[in-house]
Amino acid sequence: MAPSRGPQRLARTLHTTLANHKGPVNVARYSKGNATYVLTGGQDRSVRLWNANLGTEIKAFTAHGYEVLSISVSHDNAKFASSGGDRSVFVWDVTTGMTTRRLAGHMGKIHVVEFNEDASVLASGSFDTTVRLWDLRAQSRSPIQALEEARDAVHTIHIGSTTIMTGSVDGHVRIYDLRKGELRSDYIGHPITAIVPTQDLQTVLVTTLDSHIRLIDLTSGKLLNDFTGHKNTSYRIRGCFEHGEASVVCGDEDGKVWAWDLVDAGLLQPNPPPKVHEKVITWTEHHPSDPNEMITASADGTCKVWRQPK
Amino acid sequence: MTSRLKRKLADIGIDPSSAKANENFCLIGTPLPPLEKSKDTGEFVPLWKQEVRDEKGRRRLHGAFTGGFSAGYFNTVGSKEGWAPSTFVSSRNDRAKQKASRPEDFMDEEDLQELKDSRTIVDTTEEMDLTGGTKAELQRQGDTEDKDTLTSALEAAMLPPAKDSAGARILKKMGWRIGQGIGPRVTIRQRRLQDAQATGQNISADALDLGIDDEEAQKHTYAPRDTAVLLVERKDNFHGLGYRPGMSLNESLGVKGSNASTGLNISAGFGLGALNDADEDDLEVYDTSSSIRNRTAYDIADRDDNDRIAIGSKSNRGTGGSIRSTPSATFRDGTMVLDGFVLSDKPVAEDRWFPLPEIPQGWAPDPRRVWGQTQNDKENLKTDTAVVPHEKWKSGMSADERGTILGETPLPSAPKSVFDYMSQKDRERLKNITANLASGKAGATTPTPPTPSAPSIQIPRTDPHIASAALRGFQPFTNDPVKQGRYTAYLQSQAEPDNTSYSTSLKPLPNQSTIDFNKEMVEYFQSAQIFKPMSVAMAGRFTTAAVVEHGPQMHAGLHTPKEEEQEAKRQEEEKKREEDKLSPKEHAAKMGMYGPMTREVKPWQPARLLCKRFGVKDPNPMPEMSEDGPPSGSANASQADDTNTDVYGQASEAPGVFEAPAPTTSSSGAGKRDLANIGLGEDDTQGRDTLTYERPPVDVFKAIFASDDEDSDEEEAPEPPEPPEPTTVVAPGSSSASKTQAVPSKSEF
Repeated sequence: MAPSRGPQRLARTLHTTLANHKGPVNVARYSKGNATYVLTGGQDRSVRLWNANLGTEIKAFTAHGYEVLSISVSHDNAKFASSGGDRSVFVWDVTTGMTTRRLAGHMGKIHVVEFNEDASVLASGSFDTTVRLWDLRAQSRSPIQALEEARDAVHTIHIGSTTIMTGSVDGHVRIYDLRKGELRSDYIGHPITAIVPTQDLQTVLVTTLDSHIRLIDLTSGKLLNDFTGHKNTSYRIRGCFEHGEASVVCGDEDGKVWAWDLVDAGLLQPNPPPKVHEKVITWTEHHPSDPNEMITASADGTCKVWRQPK
Repeated sequence: MTSRLKRKLADIGIDPSSAKANENFCLIGTPLPPLEKSKDTGEFVPLWKQEVRDEKGRRRLHGAFTGGFSAGYFNTVGSKEGWAPSTFVSSRNDRAKQKASRPEDFMDEEDLQELKDSRTIVDTTEEMDLTGGTKAELQRQGDTEDKDTLTSALEAAMLPPAKDSAGARILKKMGWRIGQGIGPRVTIRQRRLQDAQATGQNISADALDLGIDDEEAQKHTYAPRDTAVLLVERKDNFHGLGYRPGMSLNESLGVKGSNASTGLNISAGFGLGALNDADEDDLEVYDTSSSIRNRTAYDIADRDDNDRIAIGSKSNRGTGGSIRSTPSATFRDGTMVLDGFVLSDKPVAEDRWFPLPEIPQGWAPDPRRVWGQTQNDKENLKTDTAVVPHEKWKSGMSADERGTILGETPLPSAPKSVFDYMSQKDRERLKNITANLASGKAGATTPTPPTPSAPSIQIPRTDPHIASAALRGFQPFTNDPVKQGRYTAYLQSQAEPDNTSYSTSLKPLPNQSTIDFNKEMVEYFQSAQIFKPMSVAMAGRFTTAAVVEHGPQMHAGLHTPKEEEQEAKRQEEEKKREEDKLSPKEHAAKMGMYGPMTREVKPWQPARLLCKRFGVKDPNPMPEMSEDGPPSGSANASQADDTNTDVYGQASEAPGVFEAPAPTTSSSGAGKRDLANIGLGEDDTQGRDTLTYERPPVDVFKAIFASDDEDSDEEEAPEPPEPPEPTTVVAPGSSSASKTQAVPSKSEF
């Protein structure tokens, strides 16, 4: 990855708008590899595949009976998983547009799904406070393991190479270390809606419902930085690192995209940021390789692709 | 030849020792049944041919192979095919003909027989023929009279065998016929009188006589008229008395007299009972011309016998009994009397009132006089009451009095007074003593009632010094200020008996009875005894508590928590909960002191399959593996991991780089290996592991790689892995990494 060269200017020029969803867009994910495609899942029970460059919808995946809350794309882009209100994880084949598996077992709506690195294991975190780890290689219908430590709904999961990180509404970030066989739980104190670790897995960005984004040191659990200024009290808003991890980007409930410097936690210009969405921005994701592109999804039914002006 | 076969042959009659029998060991075919009858008839019948029959010879037990569906036929249903589904017959046109199935339809002959047996008794009583008598009689008649078939058929059709009781049969034998009344035969005059009464006409004796001109008719006696059976209507509705359906409000209130009178005939259920004699006066007064009356036989004036049995044919029934009604009767306040009710002449009960005795002028009640009187004739009273005690209680004549009047000898066990056993002298002496006592008392004090009928106020005495001590001592009624005040007043009145101001203030409460007041006073007296302070010597040893303990006030009835109490409790609970909630961890999080305070580290066991999927060695492998396995001992591994946390941190700084746990204790006494040198030229231990590598036993690999529910795992089959580097650096995303990572390296000791 590109080394950090200080905060760059945020991509704030609207490139295209992906606006075929009927209701709020809950999640927008880049595909893996070149990340030329975007998958969005919305309240209208569909998952849509877009060409982010052209802004055209390629495909709509409709099998969900309830809203789609989370999407995870496998490493080879061959399949993706989605989950939502219908209490089972759907694993899709991208080319055929059919579900290859439906993993049922959760008792509540599933807020988050994540593949592991080689898409052999799928983790799903649910309103029923459990995280279930599904084996995608074997055909068994029961999960490999259920992580039941959380006391409240699990809203976010990150799977590293040897760790599984979960963030729950009970205010804990839990790091399941497979190698050590231990569970480290860091108490943040506020409902956690998103965790995004840095690529070196040393720090993690924790978005909580008290309008704070905290950068936590994973080795010690200490607070490294605290990013405030935006408004986030009742919706799950996923913030992210900008390319190079020099700055932190997050939307807020007023439809503004905020950016902070990672080191001194100062707000980047413009301050305050302009309002770019009609409603709450539910998801921001930076392009994994292109430093000039990021996407935002919003409850106003659109997903917008932002680029640096040429 | 087996013994069994031998025995069988012997049974059959073949000599087992004969040459014929011994000729062949094989017995081909089934032996013929014996000529004489043996016990087991089915002995030589093959099992599949044997049949089970019941005592009546019917075949039972239709096996599934032999009987099948026909079992139903043979045992219960009537066709060989068993229950054949009946063809559909539309019942649209003959719905009325649909017959409800009786229980008998579902009974077999045994059940029917049972039913019949249980019915026989009923049948003999029920099926009685008044005209013909029982079946036996009919039989006899048939025998004697020799009716032709047509006649008997007609008879049977026209006179169906009636069912009548034995009593009716007896009556018939005595000459009674259907339609006649019961009783001795009467003359034509009497009979006319009956008729007249029955029709309700008033016929004078002359009229009766006038009709009797037929000489011939007077020569005979006639059977009396049938007595109408009183049919009391059953009241099976919820209307009020006297109401009939369709009555208007006015009618029901009895406003219209004329309308009310029409209700007479209907409300026939009330009035005179069957055993009540209706006197003529009543009839003439109240009978209206419109009313239809059925006079009955026992209205005859010149009849004195009381035979009231009425047996009527069915046609006579339903005409209603004799009803006397009072259509014009009204209560004194003008409301109509209900139909069927009679206004009584006499009032129900008369209260007797006596005028008060005249009180002479200037009379004032003086109970003392009465008491004095009772005291004076106390002895008389005593003796009297001793002999006849209940004379006092009971007004009127007592049993003893009655006994004396009747001349009975008095009961020997009559209770006697003690005085009866005393001599006259003693009695007089006693009298004197009591008289002296009474007179002395009367002289000394005002005469007080010895046994006051009404409870008087009694205030128990407390010694003044005790009272004054109790005043200073513990106050027991602090919970109840009113009571405490009264207690204090009592003590003060006792402490200073001369001061009347206290004693006058001690009065029963307005709503307090004297008994309660007395009880209260006794209570005060007792508490004064109990709570008087200790003597000075004792008191010096103790100090009085500065704070008076107010015990919890007891409330009668159900406990209903008050609003403010609940509020306070809730707040308290909330506070407590908040305190509980604020564990050190939360407190630290609140303060923003994230770090060791907010971190919890717990052991966690990932599933083996999960470890395998993630390409990670099981952190806490099964104990049997650790015995001969390479440094995968759980304690060892965890220890190494603990000490190497920072090492991992350093190593994983390069993004996406991943390495296997490094056994730190491998190099003999060389201390920690420099991670920066690993795999490089400066690493002098490089390759040592490779050279000294010994292949671990196969079961270790099995334990690691072989998965029970693995089906797509050919690539991970146990194969001798290449000797690993102490640490293996693998590019991220390579799925084959798991192979090499998981291979444990052999330690040297």
